Amino acid sequence: MSQWFAQTAWLIPCYPFIGMLLSTLWFPAITRRTGPRPAGYLNAVTTFIALIHAVSALPSLLNQPALHLNFSWLSVAGFNLSLPLEISALAMGACILVIGLNFLAQIYAIGYLEMDWGWARFYAMLALFEAGLCALVLTDSLFFSYIILEILTLGTYLLIGIWFNQSLVVTGARDAFLTKRVGDLFLLMGVLAIYPLAHTWDYSELAVWAETAQVDPNLITLVGLALLAGPMGKCAQFPLHLWLDEAMEGPLPSTILRNSVVVATGAWVLVKLQPVLELSPTVQIATIAVGAVTAIGGTLIAIAQIDIKRSLSYLVSAYMGIVFIAVGAGQSQAALLIVLCHAVAMATLVASAGSIVLNNITQDLTQLGGLWSRRPITGLSFVFGALGLVALPPLGGFWAMLALTDGLWKSSPGLVGLLLLINALAAFSITRTFGLVFAGSVQPMTVRSPENLWAVTLPMTLLAGFVLHLPMILSSLSLLPDWMTVSKDLALLITWSSIFGISLGAVVYVGGSVKKPVVLPWKPLQDLFAYDFYTPKLYRSSVVGSVDIVSRITDWLDRYVVDGLVNFVGLSSIFGGEALKYGNSGQTQFYALTIAIGLVITALWLSWSILSNLAITNDFVALATSWLHLG
Amino acid sequence: MLSVLIWLPILGAAVIGFLPAAVPPRQIRNAALTVVGVTLLWSIWLFTQFDLSSPTLQLREYLPWIETLGMNYELAMDGLALVMLGINSLLTWIALLSASENTERPRLFYAMILLICGGVAGAFLAQNLLLFFLFYELELVPFYLLISIWGGEKRGYAAIKFLIYTAISGALILAGFLGLIWLTGSANFSYVAALGQTLPMNLQVLLLAVLLVGFGIKMPLVPFHTWLPDTYVEASTPVTILLGGVLAKLGAYGILRFGLGLFPAAWSVLAPVLATWGAVSILYGAMAAIAQKDIKRMVAYSSIGHMGYILLGAAALTPLALVGAMSQMVAHGLILAILFNLVGIVEQKVGSRELDVLNGLLNPIRGLPSIASLLILGAMASAGIPGLAGFVAEFLIFQGSYSAFPVQTLVGVVGTGLTAVYFVILLNRTCFGRLDTKTAYYPQVQFEERLPALLLTALIVFLGVQPTWLVKWVESSSTALVAAVPLALEQQIAVLPAAPPELKSAVSNLVQSK
Repeated sequence: MSQWFAQTAWLIPCYPFIGMLLSTLWFPAITRRTGPRPAGYLNAVTTFIALIHAVSALPSLLNQPALHLNFSWLSVAGFNLSLPLEISALAMGACILVIGLNFLAQIYAIGYLEMDWGWARFYAMLALFEAGLCALVLTDSLFFSYIILEILTLGTYLLIGIWFNQSLVVTGARDAFLTKRVGDLFLLMGVLAIYPLAHTWDYSELAVWAETAQVDPNLITLVGLALLAGPMGKCAQFPLHLWLDEAMEGPLPSTILRNSVVVATGAWVLVKLQPVLELSPTVQIATIAVGAVTAIGGTLIAIAQIDIKRSLSYLVSAYMGIVFIAVGAGQSQAALLIVLCHAVAMATLVASAGSIVLNNITQDLTQLGGLWSRRPITGLSFVFGALGLVALPPLGGFWAMLALTDGLWKSSPGLVGLLLLINALAAFSITRTFGLVFAGSVQPMTVRSPENLWAVTLPMTLLAGFVLHLPMILSSLSLLPDWMTVSKDLALLITWSSIFGISLGAVVYVGGSVKKPVVLPWKPLQDLFAYDFYTPKLYRSSVVGSVDIVSRITDWLDRYVVDGLVNFVGLSSIFGGEALKYGNSGQTQFYALTIAIGLVITALWLSWSILSNLAITNDFVALATSWLHLG
Repeated sequence: MLSVLIWLPILGAAVIGFLPAAVPPRQIRNAALTVVGVTLLWSIWLFTQFDLSSPTLQLREYLPWIETLGMNYELAMDGLALVMLGINSLLTWIALLSASENTERPRLFYAMILLICGGVAGAFLAQNLLLFFLFYELELVPFYLLISIWGGEKRGYAAIKFLIYTAISGALILAGFLGLIWLTGSANFSYVAALGQTLPMNLQVLLLAVLLVGFGIKMPLVPFHTWLPDTYVEASTPVTILLGGVLAKLGAYGILRFGLGLFPAAWSVLAPVLATWGAVSILYGAMAAIAQKDIKRMVAYSSIGHMGYILLGAAALTPLALVGAMSQMVAHGLILAILFNLVGIVEQKVGSRELDVLNGLLNPIRGLPSIASLLILGAMASAGIPGLAGFVAEFLIFQGSYSAFPVQTLVGVVGTGLTAVYFVILLNRTCFGRLDTKTAYYPQVQFEERLPALLLTALIVFLGVQPTWLVKWVESSSTALVAAVPLALEQQIAVLPAAPPELKSAVSNLVQSK
C-alpha cells in the first residue's frame, strides 16, 4: 500500500493546487453569500489529504533507492523537455515538513485572521506555496525548479500584497517581487548557459556531468555565479536581503511558512546544484563569502531591530547564510540538516511571536515586556523555539551545527571560528527578543494579555513539541552525526558559544541592570545596524536610481528626438492639422476623399509595374548598386 | 477552402455596410459576430486539416489573374500562416466582443472590422508578392477610418500619423518586391518563383534592408515605432486589439516570410545586426514603458519590447529560436489583446487611464476585483512568468538564440526583468492601494464584458501549461526556413560569378563613369 502511495507521489502537489483553484470560487461573488471561511476550511482539508498521502508514502521509501518518474512536457525542434521526478525519502521528508507546517499555519490562520475577508486569496496563496514547494522538492530538474521558483515569486507578490490598501504592504510586495525576480533572472541566465555545456538540466545528470566536466574555467565561473544568484534572492542573502524584511508587512500566518520553508527553496536548489558550483573555486568562495557576510550582518541587524517580526526575519537570513557557507564548503548533508532544524525552530518562534502580536496589538519590542507570567504557554513555546534554533544540546540546532563544524574543522578552522561567532550573536539576538517581550516590567500595551484562541495556541504548542522531538526523530532515522566519531571539543565549543551569547543577552535584556533602550557607545554604528546597513539607500542610489534615470532619458528621447527627427515630425503635424479639419467637418466629403486616395494608391501601384519597365527605374537600381559597391 | 477566410468576412462587410438604417446596433453587432464566428470555426477546422509533418505549403489555390503583371490569385498556407490565421480570426472575434454595443455608426464600424479581417487573412495566405501587397494595403483605409472616426481626443493626428507611416511602409515593401523580381528576371511575382534567388550579396542585403524597414515600421521596431503609442492610445479598444494583436503580427510575418524566407543568405549576413537590433528594441520598449503615466500607453510600449524578442529569435537562425519567435507572435497577440481589453474596461468604468488617478481596483466591494485579478494575470503573462503562454515563447527564443548570440540573449533576459518592473508599477498603482471611496461608484462589470478576457485567460493558461499546442504548428515551417540558410550560402558562393551579365556591365559602367 505504501508502495502505491510512493508511486503516485506526483499527486501530492496536486491536492493543494486543486484547493487553490477551488478557492478562486470564493472571490467576491460567493463570499458575500457564505462568508470567506469555507475557502479556508476547504484548503485545510486538501492539505490534510496531501499530508496523509505523503506520510503514507514515506515508509516504503526509507532506505530504498529513489523512484524516478518522467512526464513529457515539450518536444520541439530537436529539443526535448520532460519533467523528471525523483521520489526519494529525503524529498518525501521535505514534503511532509512543508505540508505539515502549512497545515499548522492554516489552522493558525483560522484564529489569526478571524476577522479578515480575504481568506480566499490568502488560503489560495498558501496552497500555491505548498504545491510549489512540494513540486520543487520532487522535481529533479533545474529547469522546472526555475519555473517553480519564478511562479512562487509571483506568489510572494500576491501573498505579501494581501492587505493591499496599506502603502507599506504595496511597496513591500513590489520590492519582494522585483528583488526575487532579479535573482530568478540571473538563475534563468545560468539555466540557459549551462544547457549547451551539460546538455541536461536534470540534477542527477548534472552531478554526473560535473564529475568529469572539462569546461572553460571563466565560463563556468560566470555560470556558477548566475546559478548562485537565484538562491541568493530566495534565501534573502546580501545584497538581495531586504525583501524579507519588507515581507513582514504581510499576514503573520504566511510568515510562519515563509520564514521556515519558503526561504529554504533557495537552499534546496543550492544543495542540488552543489556539484556544479564545485567546478569553480571562485564560485565556492563567493558562496561562502555571501553566506558569511549575510550571517554576520543579519545577526547584527537583528539585534538592532525593534520590530519583533523583523528581528526574527533577519535571523532567517543569517541561518540561510550558514547554509550558504555549508554548501560553499561542500557540506551538503549538514546544510540540509540546518535547513530542517531551522525550519521547525523558526516556525515555532514566528508562531509564538504572532501569538504575542495578535492580542497586544503591537509588534514593537520597546512597547512589550513583562509577559512571562501572563503568557506562560507562548513564553515556553518561544523558549523551545529559541533553544532549538541556537546550538544547545540536545536540541536540533546543536546537532546541525555540530555536523557542519565537524565537517569543516579539518579543512577550514577559520570558518568554524566564524560559525561560533555567528552562533553566539544569534543566541544573543534571540535572548534579547525574549527578554524584551517576556522579561522586564509590564508596559501599557501588555497589561491585559491572555492566551489566544485554541486555533492559534494549538499549532504553536504542537510546533514547540515538534522542536523538542526533532532529535529523536532524526536519531531514529540515523540522521544525526555519530557521537562516537565527532569531535567532543567542537561540541563543547559550540555549546559554550551559545551559552556565552545567551548569558550575555540575559544580562543585558532579561536582568534589569542595564538601562533600556541599550545605546551603543558610537551612534553611527548603531544606526548602521538599525537601518539595515542602509540597504534601501544602496538600492536607490544604484539599481533603482539608474533604471529610473535611464527610463526617463529614454522617454525624453522617444518624445523629442526619435519622434521628432527620425520620423518627419513636420510632415505628420501638417497632415495632422489637415486631418483634424476633415475629421470635424462633413463626413461624406471625407469618405469620398479617403476612397479617392485609396483609388489613387491602387492606380499608382498597378501602373508602377509598367513604369518599372522604363529605363529610369533600371538606372536607379544600377545607381543604388554602384553606391553599394563604392561603399 | 482558404478563400473562405478572405471572402466570407469581406462579403459580410458588404452586407452589413448596406443594411437598412433601421436595424438596431445590437443586431448589427450580432451579425458581425456571427460572420467572424463562422470564420473562426472555419480556421479551427483548417487546424484539423493541417498536415503537421509536411513543411510544404498546403491547401494551395490558384487562379490566373493579371498574368501580364505576373500577378495571380495564389493562396496556400504553412504552419506559420495557419497560426496567424487562427490569431486573426480569434482576435477579430474578441475585438467584436469588446466593442461597445452603443458604438456610433455601427454599420460602418463593423463593416470596416470585417474588411480588415478578410484583408489580413488574404495577406497571410497570399503566395504571390503583388497579391500580398494588395491585401497588405487593403487594410490601411479601414484602419485609418476606424482610428479617425471612433478614436480618442487626438484621433485625427493619430490616424494621419498611422496613414503616413503605413503608406511609407507599403512603398518600401513594394519597392523591395519589385526590385527583387526585376533583378532576378523572374517571370511573375509568385513567392515560389522568388525563392532560391541568386542575386549578388550586396543587392540581396540592400533589398532585405528595404523590406526590413518596410515591415519594421509595421511591426514596429525601434526607431520606426513612434506612430504606435499615439495610434494605440487614440484608437478605441477593439481597434487597438486588432492593431496590436493582428496588424503588428503582419509586420512580423512579413519579416519572417519575405525577409528571412526570400533572402536567407543576406539574412545570415545581417543576423548579428538584427539580433542587436532586437535586443535594443527590447530594452528601449521596456525603458520607455517604465516612464509612462498612462496605462494604455504603457501597454503600447510593452508591445515594442515584445516585438524585439521576435526579431532576436528570428536572427538566431536556429529552429528552436524560430519556433520561439513564431510562438511569441501568437502569445503576444493573445496577451496584448487581454491587456488592451482590460485597460479598455478600466477606462470605461473608472473613467481614467492615469496611474496617478487609479487606485485600489482589487477592492472586493467597490472596486473591479475580477477585472483587476485578470489584469494581474495578463500583466504577469506579459512579464514572462512561467505557466503562462508568454514564458514558453520567450524561453524558446532565449534557449535557441543563446548559442548564437549570447550577449544579445542575456540583454533580452534583462529586458524581461524590466518588463516586470513596469507591470509591477502598473499593478501596484491600479490594482493595489487604497480605493478612494468618495469617487468609487463604478458601473457594474457585466459578464459579457468579462467574457473576452476570460476566454483569452483560458487560452493563455492552457498554452502555458501545454506548450505543445502552441509550438507544434510552426515547427515544420521554422525548420524549413532554417534549413534554407546554409544551403543558400553554398549556392551563393557557387553562383556569384554567374550574375546577369547586363547588370554587371551596367554596374561596371557606372563605377567607371564615376
